[in-house]
Amino acid sequence: MKPPLFEYVRVSSVDEALDRLTELGDEAKVLAGGQSLVPLLSLRLANPAYLVDINRVGDLSHIANGPVVRLGALSRHRDVERSGLVAQSHPLLSATVKYIGHIAIRNRGTIGGSVAHADPAAELPTLLVALDGEIEARSSRGVRTLAAAEFFEGFLTTALEPDELLTEVRFPVLAAGTGWSIQEFSRRNGDFGVVTVVVTVAVDSAGRISEARISFGGVASTAVRASSAESALVGQTPSAELWKSAAHEAASSLDPSGDLHGTPQYRRHLAGVLTERALVEAHGRVEEG
Amino acid sequence: MRLVGAKIPRVEDRRILTGRGHYIDDVQLPFMLHSSFLRSPLAHGRINSIDVTEARRAPGVVAVYTGEDMKALAGPIKPVIPTGPAPEYFPLVTDKVLFVGDLVAMVVAESRAQAEDACELIEVDYDPLPAVVDYETALDPSVPPIFSDLESNVLVTRHLEGGDVDAAFKEADRVIEVELSQHRVADVPMETRGVVADYDDDSGQLTVHSATQSPQGVRIQLASTLDHPINKLVVLTQDVGGSFGLKINIFREDFCVCVASKQIGRPVKWIEDRNEHMIASGHAREEKILAQVAVSDAGDVLGLKAELTLDQGSYPGLPFGAAIFPSLIDVLLPGPYKVKGYSCDSKVITTNKCVYVAYRGPWAIETWARERLLDIVAHELGLDPAEIRRRNYLEGAEGDQLITGRSVSGITSRETLDRALALIDYEEVRSQQQVARNEGRCVGVGFATFLEAAPGPPEMRLGGGMFAGEQATVKLEADGRVTIITAQSPHGQGHETTLAQVVADEMGVSMDQVQVVYGDTRLTPFSIVGTGGSRAATWATGAVLVNARKVKEKVLAIAGAQLEVSPEDLEISEGIITPKGVPSKAISLAQIARQATLGPASLPPGTDANLESNERFLGEGITGSGWSGGTHACVVEVDLGTGAVKIVRYVVIEDCGRVINPGVVAGQIRGGVAQGIGQVFYERAAYDKEGNFLAGTFMDYLLPTAAEIPTIEIEYVESDPEGEIGFRGVGEGGIIVAPAALTNAIEDALLPFGAKITEMYLPPAKVLELAGIIEE
Repeated sequence: MKPPLFEYVRVSSVDEALDRLTELGDEAKVLAGGQSLVPLLSLRLANPAYLVDINRVGDLSHIANGPVVRLGALSRHRDVERSGLVAQSHPLLSATVKYIGHIAIRNRGTIGGSVAHADPAAELPTLLVALDGEIEARSSRGVRTLAAAEFFEGFLTTALEPDELLTEVRFPVLAAGTGWSIQEFSRRNGDFGVVTVVVTVAVDSAGRISEARISFGGVASTAVRASSAESALVGQTPSAELWKSAAHEAASSLDPSGDLHGTPQYRRHLAGVLTERALVEAHGRVEEG
Repeated sequence: MRLVGAKIPRVEDRRILTGRGHYIDDVQLPFMLHSSFLRSPLAHGRINSIDVTEARRAPGVVAVYTGEDMKALAGPIKPVIPTGPAPEYFPLVTDKVLFVGDLVAMVVAESRAQAEDACELIEVDYDPLPAVVDYETALDPSVPPIFSDLESNVLVTRHLEGGDVDAAFKEADRVIEVELSQHRVADVPMETRGVVADYDDDSGQLTVHSATQSPQGVRIQLASTLDHPINKLVVLTQDVGGSFGLKINIFREDFCVCVASKQIGRPVKWIEDRNEHMIASGHAREEKILAQVAVSDAGDVLGLKAELTLDQGSYPGLPFGAAIFPSLIDVLLPGPYKVKGYSCDSKVITTNKCVYVAYRGPWAIETWARERLLDIVAHELGLDPAEIRRRNYLEGAEGDQLITGRSVSGITSRETLDRALALIDYEEVRSQQQVARNEGRCVGVGFATFLEAAPGPPEMRLGGGMFAGEQATVKLEADGRVTIITAQSPHGQGHETTLAQVVADEMGVSMDQVQVVYGDTRLTPFSIVGTGGSRAATWATGAVLVNARKVKEKVLAIAGAQLEVSPEDLEISEGIITPKGVPSKAISLAQIARQATLGPASLPPGTDANLESNERFLGEGITGSGWSGGTHACVVEVDLGTGAVKIVRYVVIEDCGRVINPGVVAGQIRGGVAQGIGQVFYERAAYDKEGNFLAGTFMDYLLPTAAEIPTIEIEYVESDPEGEIGFRGVGEGGIIVAPAALTNAIEDALLPFGAKITEMYLPPAKVLELAGIIEE
C-alpha cells in the first residue's frame, strides 16, 4: 500500500494552481484534504503523474453567509460543522456535515474535495442535489458556475475539466417556513450511508404543500431526486398517509444496485422507510418554525 | 498487600498507550532491505509463464524470486507436527495458484515502495481454472481436487460417538432437523503480520524478528523447512499488536524472507499491508452443522446427531492445520447437557480461498450451534428457552461427564444461568417485551451457556499431550529482584502484569521488583503454542508459581540457617525475611541474593547458591472443574424499518475460577464479546462465486468500533476461590458465546414473524428478510 511514483507540486495561490493544472492537464490530481485521494493512491487505484497540493492556497477557506451559503473549496468539514454562522443560517447544512465520516476525517477533509470526489453515497452531493446548489470552477480560461445536477455525471465522475479547479460550493438557504430533514442509515457510526435522504417541505398559508424536495444518496451512480414523489406531494394536505404514499412512490422510482452492505431490495425498502421518517420530521420542523 | 485478586493497572499500558511499544515495524537494522509479494489475482489458475526481467531491472531492486527460484532454496513445507494428510507445497507457488492472494513472486528492494513498483512489472500468464468456492462443489466427487497430490477435496473425515444414539432417537417423541452455518471471518489484529530476517554470514546465525504468538513454534518450523541448524536460529518477539490465533501460524512469507536474507546477506523486512492482510493472512470459522435433535415432548434432549463440514480454504495452516479442529468441536458440541446418545461426522474440505487459521475459540461453532438448537427446540415445543436449559443441564456433580466422556464435576452452568437471568431481570424483560409488542416495537431477550476447556478436566490435561504442561524460570537476581522467564508470548493478555502479581505475592516482594521476560528463544522454554488456547491462566501461572516456591524454599533455607530459625517459621514481606511474629530478627532477600551471587562459598553448608528454578509444571495442584464457563444474556430491540439491532443490555456471568486481576479478565471478556458482536452484525470475509475476494479494505470488512459496543455488565461466580491453582483461562469464552446470546435474542424478537435463524451473519438486510419485510 505505497502509492506509485508521482511528482509533488505545491502551489500557494489559485492562479498558480490554475497555471500548473493548465500545464499538466489530466496528468495531475488536486490534493486537498486527501481523505479520498490518499487511500486511492495507496491502493494503486489512482496513478497520477503529479499531485498539485492546494493546502497552502490562502483564499479558498471562506465560509460566507447570505441567501446562499458559500463555502471555499478548502473549508474543512469540521470548520463548517462548528460554524455558528452556518448553524444559524443553514441548519440543514450543519446537520449534514455531522454525518461525514469521523471527527478525524472531518478535521482534515474539505468541502471541495468531497464534492469533486463525487461519491454517490456521500452526504454533500446528496444535499447539493436536493438544494439545486452550485459549484464554481476556475481555470486559466475563466470561471464557470455549474448546477449540481449537471456537475455530478456519474460514479466518481464530474463535469470538471482537467485544467479546472473547484473553488467554491454554494448551498442555497431554505426559505422561511421550510422544514427539512436528513436521514442516513449506515452500518456503523461514521460510515457512508447505505442510503441517505435529504428532504425539504414547504407549506403554504392554506396548509398545503407548496414545495417538496427529496434527494437520495447511495442508490444510484450519483445522488438523485425523486421528482415524481416531489410532484405528487405538491398541493396536498400533510397527513401520515400522504407521507407513506410519497415515500413509497419515491422508493419505487429507484433502481439501486446491491453490495456487501445491502441488497437492491433492502436499499429500496430503506429508501422508503427513511423518506417517510424524513417527511415526518421535515413537516414537524415547518410546524415548529 | 495481596496482589492476586486486585485490579492492578497493567504495567504494559503506559508504553503501549503512549506509543512507546516496540512492534515488528519498529525493528530497524543497518543495511536492511524491504520486500513485497506479487499475489495471485485469480482464485485458481495455472501459471504458463512468468517474466521478471523488467522487475529485476527496476530502480532499487536487489532480488526477485519466482516459485522455481524459491523451490530450489526451501521447502517443501511440512508441519513439524503432522496432522493428517497434507499436500506438498512450497513458499511460493510453482505451478498453480490456489486462491486470490496466493504467493506468486517476491521482490526485495531498497524500499517497500520500490518493491511494490517492481511487482507491477512482473508479467504472469495464467490459464484460469474453475474455482472451488462452496461446500457443494468441494464435495462433488467429479470436481478435480485443487491439490493434485491429494485424492479429493475432502481432506479429513472423522466420527465420534457417545452413549447410545440409536436408543436415544428411538425413545424420542420427535426429531428436529436444522442446518446451521457460520460465515468466514478474519482475525484482524490491529498490527498486521510482519517479519525481519537477519542472517549473519560469518557465524551462520539467522536472527528472525517475528510478530508471533509463538517464537519457539516459528523457530522449530523455520529450522525444519529451511534445513537451518536450530542452534543457530534465534527468534525475537517484542510487542505484538494482537493476533487472536492468526499469529500462532508460521507463514509462507516467513520462509521467503529468511531465504532472501540468507541469499543476499542483508537483513530483509516484510510488513504486511492491510489490503494483503484482509485478502491473504488467514480467515476463520467457515463451518456448517447439519443437526438432528431427538427430544421428548416434555423437553428432554435425548439425542444429537451432527454432520460438521469445515471449509479450510486452500493451504493447511502451520503448525496446526484446520484438520485438527473437528476433534475440538465434536467433543464439546453436546455441551453441559444430559444427552443420552450422540454422534458426529466431520469433514474438512479444501477450496480456492484463503488459509483457514485459528481464531479466538476456534471450536466456537459448537457453542453457537448447540445454544441455537436449544432455542429452536424450545420454540418448537412451546417451552421457555430458560426452561429447556434448566431441564437438561448437567449439574457438575461428582462423576458427571459430558456425553463425550469428559469430566465436568464442579461446573456451574446452572448457577450462571440463574444469576444471568436474575441480573437481567428476566420476568420483567418478558413483560416489557409484551408491552413493546403491543406498541408495535420489536424487543427480544436471549442467552446462552458455554464451557471453555481452559485448562480442561484432568483427563484432558494429563498424559503429556502437546498442550499439557509448561516450563518457566524464576530467578532471584543479585540485588534481590526477581526475573520470570515465561514460555508465553503475550500479545495483549497482560502477562507482564498477571504473572508478576502471582510471583510477587509468592516471593513476598512488591510488583516493581518482578520483571517478566518473554520473546527470546535463547532464554524462553519451548512451547509450540506460546500464548494461545487460554492456557496462561492455569499453565503459565502454575509454572511460575511452582518455580517461585522452589526459589523461596532455597532462600528460606539460607535465611533459616543464618537466622537460626527453622525455614518453616520464616516469612517474606516487602523483601524482608523475618521469623513469623518476630520482626526484630531480619535479613533481606537482597542480602541473601548478593551473598549467593558474589560469595557462594560463604553460604551455610547444605544450602544452594543457585537461586533459580526452571521446572516443568505438569498440573499438580490444579483445583476445581478445569472448566471455565458461564452464561451471557442480552436484550435487543430491532428497528423493523432499517433492520438495525440495538443491544439494550448485555450481561455476563463468568466462572473462570479464581480471578488474578479483574481488570485483565474483564478486558478479555469485553474484547471477546465485541468480536462476537462483530461476527454477527458486521464482519464477513466475503467471496463471490468465482472466488474473488470482496472485503479487502475496512470499507468492506466492517469491524465494530467503540460506538457499536454496548456497556457490558460482568459478574463472577468464583467457584473454588481458595484453590491452590484455581485460576482458569478466560480468553475465548466471550467470543464463543456472544453470537449465540445475540442471535437467540434476535430470533426471540422476531418470533411473531416466524423467524428462524440458521445463519449467524445478520446484517440489517438479513434481519428484515428474516422478519419477512423484504424479499431475499
